[in-house]
Formats: sequence, structure tokens, C-alpha cells
Amino acid sequence: MAVHEGIFNAIIKGKRKDVGTLVQEQVNAGAKPDELLNESMIPAMREVGERFSRNEVYVPEMLIAARAMAAGLVIIEPLLTAKGIEPKGKVAIGTVKGDLHDIGKNLVVMMLKGAGYEVVDLGVDCPNEKYEEAVKNGAQVLLLSALLTTTMPAMKEVVDYLRSKGLQPKIIIGGAPVTQEYANEIGAQGYGRDANDAVKVVERVLAA
Amino acid sequence: MNRTYYLDLAARGSRFPIGTHLTLHARPDHDSILLDGVRLGEVIAESAREWQCPMAVPLMDLTLEKDALLAILQVPAEGREKYHFADIPDARLMETVETAPFLTPRIEATCAAIRYIAEKHADLLPVGMGIGPFSFTTKLLSDPITPVFMAGTGMTGEDDEDVALLECATNLSLQLILRYLKEQCAAGAKAIILCEPAANLVYFSPNQLAEGSDVYQRLVIEPNLKIKALLDSLGVDLIFHDCGELTDGMVDSFNQLSPVMLSLGCSRTLWKDAALVSKKTVLYGNLPTKKFYSDDAVSPAEVERLSVELLREMKKAEHPFVLGSECDVLSVPGKEEIIKNKVRIMMNCKAD
Repeated sequence: MAVHEGIFNAIIKGKRKDVGTLVQEQVNAGAKPDELLNESMIPAMREVGERFSRNEVYVPEMLIAARAMAAGLVIIEPLLTAKGIEPKGKVAIGTVKGDLHDIGKNLVVMMLKGAGYEVVDLGVDCPNEKYEEAVKNGAQVLLLSALLTTTMPAMKEVVDYLRSKGLQPKIIIGGAPVTQEYANEIGAQGYGRDANDAVKVVERVLAA
Repeated sequence: MNRTYYLDLAARGSRFPIGTHLTLHARPDHDSILLDGVRLGEVIAESAREWQCPMAVPLMDLTLEKDALLAILQVPAEGREKYHFADIPDARLMETVETAPFLTPRIEATCAAIRYIAEKHADLLPVGMGIGPFSFTTKLLSDPITPVFMAGTGMTGEDDEDVALLECATNLSLQLILRYLKEQCAAGAKAIILCEPAANLVYFSPNQLAEGSDVYQRLVIEPNLKIKALLDSLGVDLIFHDCGELTDGMVDSFNQLSPVMLSLGCSRTLWKDAALVSKKTVLYGNLPTKKFYSDDAVSPAEVERLSVELLREMKKAEHPFVLGSECDVLSVPGKEEIIKNKVRIMMNCKAD
């Protein structure tokens, strides 16, 4: 199946209702859901991410596109599950203890879903135990978000806590004050500088 | 309005961080100090002395207003931090936002601290602090970006319930802020630092603004103009702070507020912004203090280089300027001395 231009463009433009309608039409017409996802929907979100990286679109457009993508996923996901098609991987993400900021986290959630991952959103102000539970429930990658320099040290606490429990998930960190150096310092496997980059880093650490 | 005071600060080559958090967190009982107006006032004064700042600046804690508003709206205390409006609150409760008691213990202590400064430290300028109405609004909604974008397309609350919630939250935010600022002014604040860090290009698409949308004007500038009018009526100066990533148009729009000082984040090049900002407004900032905790991210030598560059280029730009931090300098456990060392470098480095 070739790229469905209508779905592709509707996602990029954030036309939520159009995406839902077009995806349903294609499903009704017999299109394979995994092909719709992999050849039209995921490429559309990848394109949005690339445009974001090139400063051609900004967070609002990315968010609107992700919401449009979600309108299609609502239709596609049950069909994929029924066919036994697995997501690309299972990841969990949360803003660390003491930090209530969620915009960055929410963007990463949407971009990862748009890239075909099963994403467990742990919310904000997450205690260590919440990350532990996510790993025990099968999350292969943990993403930790912090906006404040004052809450950033909680990332190290999560890493140390999980290691003390004998858990070895891949850990990726992100947020305004965070750097690659800080990721190295606390023993995280990756650092995502923005939502689009986070998807690439998840792909990289899962392939490693 | 006393612009001369701030212009003189700039003319004297003043430099200072917003450093109260650093000073407060050097005290083991910092949490209890937050509830004690006199002790909080002492910390604010100590911070001003420590960092040679002629202004007594409270903590830049932008959570107080949300707590106060939600208390009025009868949201239980334990859930307020994470609370977001799911629906428009009850109309009868909303009517009380302008009149119901709103002085939470933290707000009372902040006002008492300002009063203490005004009474006991006459050489310091008592300054108040508050969140801006747009940034406050974003804290009340689980997804503020989407309705802002939709409002930018021209949709109103009559067209969409998310936009209606945005409009409602904006109104409530403004009402509460006006009350809190009045209280701080009554306590003796001679200037207010109004913080709008969310009024940035995460929430507002530059593409949409470039296409002619007036959404930034409606949601950021107009509510802040109402605050400006209040402060003018009370003879209190406006110091406007936005450390978010901004377009030139956003910076230019702040001129409408005619602040005595404009504090911007490190993503801006201040000597270029000098061309956008009225010369009556002192530019303040904008060293990358959020990354001072890490020598890898910002080394001491880099702090010195950036400080010298800012001083040199702002002098060339002939714009009134005070060298300082991009935001309040937060104390990071275990990194306190690394941070303070860089603030000292900023304070002491020699200009070209």
C-alpha cells in the first residue's frame, strides 16, 4: 500500500476529524490497519517531528498533529490488537518527584505513540515506586522528565533506586536543565533534547 | 512610577542575581521560614545584602496564586498542586473569587515579609512578586496549548468548550492576581515583578502569529495591561519577566506594558533586543543560571566570558542594562557552591 496522501496531510495539518473519517473509510474499504499505520500515519508524525527540528513548525502544531494522529489510532489500535500485531516497544514516562510540569512529557508521549510505541504515562510528581512498577509491568525504556534544576536530582534517585532493586531498564532523561553530561553522570543511557529527539533516542537505546 | 531609580541602577553598572532561593536554602529550616513573614523578610533582606541587590526580591514561587484560587473554589488542599479544571467551575463559587478571603498562609507570610522590609530596611526597595495571568491560566488546564491554538484560529468559547475553559481560567486568574498584587502593594511593595514564563513559543505558534493572529495580544498583553493599570493607579512600578523562548514580536509587544525593567531568558540576545525595547526600560539578565549547577553545561570561564560579552555589547547598544540571572537562581542540593561560585564570577568579573 502506498502512502495515503489524505491521511498523511490531514495529520500534518492537525485535522483531527478528517483523520478519523479518512482512517475509518480506509478500514471499511479493506485497507490493512498495520499498513495504514506504518506507511501513512507514522510517516506523517515523523515528518512533523522533522519539521519541528528544522523550526518550521512549533510545539502547538506538533501537538495538534499528535491529537489528529490519536484520532486515527483510536480506530487502528483495536484492529492491530485483534490481529496480534505488537507495538514497536513498551515505554513508560513520568515527570520526577517534586516536579509538576507536564508539557514536555505530554509531547514526548504523543510523539512516541505516533511512532508506534505502547506508552505508559506515569503522570507528574512520580515516586520511585511508580517507575519500579512500570518496569515490572514490562516497560523496556523509562523516560524521566524534569523542568527545574531543583527537581533534576530526583532523576539520579530514580536511577539509583531501580539499580538497588536489581532492575536494569534503559533510562532516558530530558527537560530544560538536563544535559547529556548529566545523563552520563547519573548513569542514564540517553538524553533527549526535545520530543522528536526523544523518539530517536528510544529507537537507539532499544537497538543497542 | 519611578523610572529614574532603575535607570540610575543601570547607569551605575549594577549587577545582581535574583538570589533569594539560594539564600533561603542555605538555612536548614527553609520550609518553616516560608510561613513566617518576619523570618522570610530577614532572608530576603539577607539575600539583597549578600548579592548587593538594592531591591528586596521575594521568592519567585509561582504556585501561591493557584493554591489561593483553588481554596476559594473549594478544591481540597491536598489535591490543589495537580488540579486542573475539567469543567467550568460552579458559577456561584466563581462569583466569590473577587470577594472571598484568599490569604493563604504562604501569601500572608509573603505580604508580611514585604511589610517587614518596608519597615525595617528602608535602604532596600520592597518588591512584590506574582505570576502573570497567562502563565497562571496554563497551570489551571491539563492541556492549555490546544485551546490557545484554537483561540488563535479565531474560535471563541461559544465555538468550543476547551476555548471556553481557557477564557474562564484567564478571567479567574486575572481576578486573583489583581487581589494578590493589591495586597502586596498595601504591604509596602514599590515594584512588582510579574512573571509570564509561559508566554512563549511553546504555547504560541510563531507561524500562527505571523499569519496575523492576535491571540498573543488577547491572552497575554491585554490581561497584563489590566495589571499595569492597577499598578499605575497605586504608584507601583512594573518589572516584567519572561524567561521563555520568544519571538522578536513578543519582545516588541512588551513595550505596551511600559515596564521599568524587562527581564528575559538566556535564549534572547539582549543587545539585539535593545533595538526592540524602549530605552526607558532597563533590560535585565540574562546569564544561563538554570545550568549553573553543571560545570560541563556552563563552566566558570564561560560565565565570565558571557558576563563580559553582555556588558560590552550592551554598552555598545547604549541601552540601560543590569547584568543578572535569566530567572531566579535556584539552589540545587549538592551543587550549591558550584552555583554560588558562578554568581560571584558574574558579580566580580571586570568589564572590557
